[in-house]
Amino acid sequence: MTNFETADVFKDLDVNDDPYSYFEYLRGKGPVTPLALRNVVAVTGYDEGVAIFRDDENFSAIDSTTGPFLPLDYDPSLDIDDQIARCRQENPFANTIINQDLPDHNRSKAILNGIITPARLKENEAFMHTLSDQIIDEFIDRGTFDAVSEYGQPFAQLVIADLLGVPKEDHGQFRDMIGDPAQLPGALGGDFDFSKNPFVGIATYFATYIQERRANPRGDVLTRLAQQTADDGSLPDVMEVVAVATFLFGAGQDTTVQLFTGMMRYLAENPGLEDRLRENPALIPDLVEEVLRLQGTVKSTFRYVRRPVTVGGVDLEPGMHVMINLAAMNRDPKRFPDPTTFDIERKNVRSHVSFGRGIHACAGGPLARAEARVTMERLLPRIRNIRLNEAKHGPAGARHFDYLPNYSLRGVSEMQVEFDRID
Amino acid sequence: MVKITYVEHDGERTTVDAQPGESMMKAAVSHGVAGIEAVCGGNCACGTCRIYVDDNWRAKLPSPGESESEMIDFCGDPDPRVRLSCQIAVSEDLDGMEVTLPESQQ
Ligand code: HEM
Ligand code: FES
Repeated sequence: MTNFETADVFKDLDVNDDPYSYFEYLRGKGPVTPLALRNVVAVTGYDEGVAIFRDDENFSAIDSTTGPFLPLDYDPSLDIDDQIARCRQENPFANTIINQDLPDHNRSKAILNGIITPARLKENEAFMHTLSDQIIDEFIDRGTFDAVSEYGQPFAQLVIADLLGVPKEDHGQFRDMIGDPAQLPGALGGDFDFSKNPFVGIATYFATYIQERRANPRGDVLTRLAQQTADDGSLPDVMEVVAVATFLFGAGQDTTVQLFTGMMRYLAENPGLEDRLRENPALIPDLVEEVLRLQGTVKSTFRYVRRPVTVGGVDLEPGMHVMINLAAMNRDPKRFPDPTTFDIERKNVRSHVSFGRGIHACAGGPLARAEARVTMERLLPRIRNIRLNEAKHGPAGARHFDYLPNYSLRGVSEMQVEFDRID
Repeated sequence: MVKITYVEHDGERTTVDAQPGESMMKAAVSHGVAGIEAVCGGNCACGTCRIYVDDNWRAKLPSPGESESEMIDFCGDPDPRVRLSCQIAVSEDLDGMEVTLPESQQ
């Protein structure tokens, strides 16, 4: 077992398999605690993390996805904001909506707000029901499915395709453009191959859609996307719109897939729970929230310190990376009593931070919640006696999974579920 | 400085000195008013910065814009006094204003 004192959380496979014990070790040292490596300070306290999320002046989001592997060697003799700006110019992956600071972030957010509107979400939910049924049809006779590749991935991908108005005839191609979760920012050791990323293919589709709709508007969702203006009222470049649209496929894919695996796991480990939900589907949203709290996919995100500031009694200096451990904040006993107990009746469960806080808070929160709820609403009337495949994952009490090797995302590469069909 | 009082559901009152131009959400959050969650940081995307404004003060506020109205509908808060505090800019006219907060922002 790894010695936590010297563990390199950015490389260590034991910590990756059980990050929660490591976070409790960190919590024992304080809600904000420097790691003796890579100029990183770890946050496990709920209040401290929320305070950082709300402070856009002292912290930059440029490292939110990369953490300390951000290609920026801070030189204290030069202006830090200039260095951040240069790093963004040189590294496009440090200039997406999730990495931008004010005021640039306002521009991307305006484009995004035009895409994810309450009205659009309602229409999208109707599509989710049909899609869920279709995907369940593919495995219902088999009595088994992989919650990652045979449900989660195609479902999450096509929900976003529909949200953005991708024509039905192209859905097949989008289903084939699902990325390998091993090649994502946050990969252990800091290297991932972005060229293997399906974004390039997706971006090509969207560039064509947007150009075509700008030339020939036709009153569909893609036309609205093509005509969406930025915060200053101007029409953005085609590639700016493409960047925001493409980003949604990355942000909404593996994250949501792991919400499904989390729910399957709790259903399998808590016999009786599925009956309770079947009898009273109004409890499904409470299940979703408690799974998000205990198994939120983003275990850690990052902020870059750009001004001297004190949080939780710890002085932070420009150039430091703050590792905001959402998974630890969600288990802060000061906020959530008896934090490791799974309890769908928790009163304040919705104040979990699995979707972050502040200007970068997840834009897809309402969508992900709807995806999880619809999935349960469609699955529970059709399958029962939900179990995990013991040959693959071991018996209850001694389960094992292949966890994604990633210091930012928590998830499994496969989850083989077994069930009985309800006729 | 503009004095605004936020009254929590349990009756706890916090009076803050707000800056003209900042949002009523920012004024509350930066003074530690616990009943304003503001998950989305003021992007009109979460509906967790809701306040209840009585008629006399309501009349002094610009009416909600399209995105604020849509988000209010989306959260389904039935109280007719509801507004989103992130969409209201503090101005001198609001000096002395009192608003109440929902029992829960969810
Ligand atoms: C259970 C599923 C999901 C989880 C746990 C999740 C989690 C998160 C978290 C923690 C952040 C903030 C990161 C930070 O502040 O550093 C975030 C941002 C974001 N998420 Fe999600 N997400 C999920 C699903 C989705 C979906 C389905 C979409 C797309 C429709 C989406 C789109 C986004 C976008 C666009 C941002 C960046 C927002 C900004 O920077 O303004 N997410 N997500
Ligand atoms: S802070 Fe999210 S809507 Fe006001």
